[in-house]
Amino acid sequence: MRRPLLGAAGLLVVMALLEALPRAGLVDGRFLPPFGTTARALGAQLATGGFWTVLGQTARGWALGLALAMVAGVVAGMVIGSVPVLRAATASTIEFLRPIPSVALIPLVVLVYGSRPESALVLVVYAAFWQVLIQVLYGAADVDPVVRDTARSYRFSRWGTLRTVVWPTVLPYAATGFRLAAAVALILEITAELVIGVPGLGHAIGVAQSSGAVAETYALVIVVGLIGVVVNLSARAVERRVLRWHTSVRRDL
Amino acid sequence: MIRRLVLAVAVMLTAAACGSGPSVTEDGLTKITVGVIPIVDVAPVYLGVQKGFFAEQRLELELQTAQGGAAIVPGVVSGQFQFGFSNTTSLLLASAQGLPVKAVASGVASTGEPGKDFGAVVVAADSPIKTARDLAGKKVAVNTLRNINTTTVGNVVAADGGDPSAITYVELPFPDIAPAIARGDVDAGQLVEPFLTIATGQGDRQVVSNYAGTAPGLTVGLYFTGSQQDQAVVRAFTTAITRSMEYASAHPDEARAALSTYTKIDPAVQAALVLPKWPSTVDRASVQRLADLAQKDGLLPRAPDLNVLLP
Repeated sequence: MRRPLLGAAGLLVVMALLEALPRAGLVDGRFLPPFGTTARALGAQLATGGFWTVLGQTARGWALGLALAMVAGVVAGMVIGSVPVLRAATASTIEFLRPIPSVALIPLVVLVYGSRPESALVLVVYAAFWQVLIQVLYGAADVDPVVRDTARSYRFSRWGTLRTVVWPTVLPYAATGFRLAAAVALILEITAELVIGVPGLGHAIGVAQSSGAVAETYALVIVVGLIGVVVNLSARAVERRVLRWHTSVRRDL
Repeated sequence: MIRRLVLAVAVMLTAAACGSGPSVTEDGLTKITVGVIPIVDVAPVYLGVQKGFFAEQRLELELQTAQGGAAIVPGVVSGQFQFGFSNTTSLLLASAQGLPVKAVASGVASTGEPGKDFGAVVVAADSPIKTARDLAGKKVAVNTLRNINTTTVGNVVAADGGDPSAITYVELPFPDIAPAIARGDVDAGQLVEPFLTIATGQGDRQVVSNYAGTAPGLTVGLYFTGSQQDQAVVRAFTTAITRSMEYASAHPDEARAALSTYTKIDPAVQAALVLPKWPSTVDRASVQRLADLAQKDGLLPRAPDLNVLLP
């Protein structure tokens, strides 16, 4: 009960600071309006249909990209992780591709897709995929050798081993990958919208900025922050639900 | 940075790039995608779509906004956009690099009235900089280095007896220029509307109108297309956009109102800002002037053949 209260207190302090700093003249109010002004701009935004449209576009792009990355990451990770030859053959390639920042692909996707939603989708999937894949790979490598050997002794089929031995070990790792990927996907979705002009919240921020509408710009930035909080809380809820049997979540042990 | 990278990659991949051409919709309209920047300059396109000038020419427009003009050139060259809007100097540079860009209509032009133009150099109210000459030796913020704003600012400084080579240019996005002036990071900055009205409304002072001071009817931006366009579509687009610009010039209040359909400009600023001119023809002499300035500043290796770019 105390943690949400403390969290809310932290938010209130930030809001109070944002209100006080411009009013006290410590920062220029023209370029960082007091929180009240931003909040009013936010309220005005919420009342427009255009705002909900762009919010929907961002949510759709994020969810689709995350779903694709999850499926691709889990499947690829399970396959690569359970076959030692594959794992050895792909290790250096993965380590080469993984550190490439998704934003470095912007020029490429702009040429291929322009400012269509596909541009953002490619960046989101690329960034989120590695988060999932790496976790699943670690998970697949973490299978208890005794359990694996037992399954082999009982002549479990390959599918049976994957389902009953590898998968339960991988699941907590995949859940962590999901939580990381959910945040990364949101960052890349907004980045793509802001930089490339893909329709969505990021694009709305860009338009507000290039219109010199300072309060609206901050209002939309706050919305993005709130979405980040919601995404993180939901990812944690999903994690707890999926891993309710796992010792890290169960309280009754 | 990203814009330049995009341009560089585009130059390399032009041959390899493949894009989707115009398609025909169910009701017989030709669907075309136009790359624009969400700024005051392109108000006539939005107004023209509202008024049905494009539908009259059997065109259905999809307007895609890019954050920078430099991203539109590669988009048009690769076929993502069938048409685009870009500033004249960028197009001169692209054309000189051998990119197949062809202007199809005038886009936006200076009002020709110094002090009442849509672009100007501004300083803080208490700055010692009084005239263009004083900018020599100072730090001036521009949105893009080595482009229309550096060549025209250099030109008006030289015309006032200053040494343009003594100016240090700093690249900053338009929204960041007024804050940089306020902090003292730069001594002056080149702004366009709506930032010009916002900055002067907050106490900054205009020093010189760099577009109007370069040529009275300076063609600042153009609508353009790539090489392999259906000529009938190009003619239809040119007719519709020219009609749109004539209408916007004749009905400035409607052009002003159209701004709120694609920007978030504050209503007070929207009412006060200086609208540019939307002439129906390209001022060829002023494009020549921009080409000469670009060549003088070393942006162009040799004098370009304007017939390649201009209609």
